[in-house]
Amino acid sequence: MSVGLLVDVMLGLALVGLSLRVVTGQSLFSDIVQFILFGLVVALSWSRLGAPDLALAEAAIGAGLTGALMLMAYRRLVQGGGEDAVRIGPRPLLALPVAALTGTLVAVIGLVALGVQRVAGAAGDRVLEALPGTGLGNPVTGVLLVYRGLDTLLELAVLLVALLGAWAVSGDAAPGRLHQVDRRTPLVGALLTSMAPLTILIATHLLLAGTDAPGGAFQAGAVLTGCGVLLVLTGTLRPTAAAGLVTRLLLVSGLAAFVLIGVGAVALGRPTMTMPGTWAIYLVETAIMVSIAVTMTLLFARSRGLAPERS
Amino acid sequence: MTSSLVYMLAASAVFGIGVFGLITAEHLMQKLLALNVIGSAVFIFMLTVAGTTPEGPDPVAQALVLTGIVIAVSATAFALALMVRIVQETRLTSLWGRDDED
Repeated sequence: MSVGLLVDVMLGLALVGLSLRVVTGQSLFSDIVQFILFGLVVALSWSRLGAPDLALAEAAIGAGLTGALMLMAYRRLVQGGGEDAVRIGPRPLLALPVAALTGTLVAVIGLVALGVQRVAGAAGDRVLEALPGTGLGNPVTGVLLVYRGLDTLLELAVLLVALLGAWAVSGDAAPGRLHQVDRRTPLVGALLTSMAPLTILIATHLLLAGTDAPGGAFQAGAVLTGCGVLLVLTGTLRPTAAAGLVTRLLLVSGLAAFVLIGVGAVALGRPTMTMPGTWAIYLVETAIMVSIAVTMTLLFARSRGLAPERS
Repeated sequence: MTSSLVYMLAASAVFGIGVFGLITAEHLMQKLLALNVIGSAVFIFMLTVAGTTPEGPDPVAQALVLTGIVIAVSATAFALALMVRIVQETRLTSLWGRDDED
């Protein structure tokens, strides 16, 4: 057994074990923490499956952001209803046969899928052949922005609708002030002054690297959200009851830039959603990164807008 | 091929475990966690199939999964907001109303 296969087997066992812990934990809080761990192992397994872009995205979005959102929701439950709101009961074991059957079914489908030969001239191969013509080195970025631009555009729309939906169901009540750590304490201040610029640096790197190497707008946006979450938690950004003009513009910047360039292509006699050059790809990606970061930070803070706190 | 087999079996097991979690969970947040576990299993499944060919992993499938991850977190964020509101309004953490009996 080679070392690589040994690592795969260990990751596979970790995936199964951690997902078991997620659904059989004794407290909701530990379930959430196990889920974050599970997401990180998922990210590791994807780096083994030749998908480093996806590994970055899963670590930042799947484990990081989802985890942060879940922990925030957990805190709101505790604030609203105390321990009763997060109490969980024992699980009935009656569902075990159903679960075993579903798992077996997926395994059978999966084993058949593994045996199927990829058709010659499939979309993926043609992307790899045509990629040099787009000026991009990263095929995933190429698919997202050049070949399947409409999917990415609608994905941004879904993100925006999720925020609007969250606003709608959260009611009009002014956002409660979160329990915050005092940023004047030395450690918090040091953390803030070193981490906040660092996350911006990493996000910018991921964005620029995304054209040729693993990275991209979504991973960058997620890392930038990390900066936003940090600023909200330390009280540097304060939730407000209304979204200002700047916030609104930033929220739609990704969609707007994408639509303007995509439809502008028609005026120039090209098909819709074509990118006129590498500059357009960078522009759209930057706008996507900013709107993802603002949308996600607002979803985390559960507020309409954010304003800097003067101290 | 053997590594693919390992991840495919793991994805199947995780999918089954997620279904178990979804069915047996009472608390709405546990249901959301289980749904996310099922989602991850599907993503592992897709990436395993996309990564088997000798010409290199399929970028279209990878882009599809990336889109899927973002949609999943959007839906989860909305569902969490909905759940917090439901608990605020009804004082119940599940859809069965059992918490109301005492």
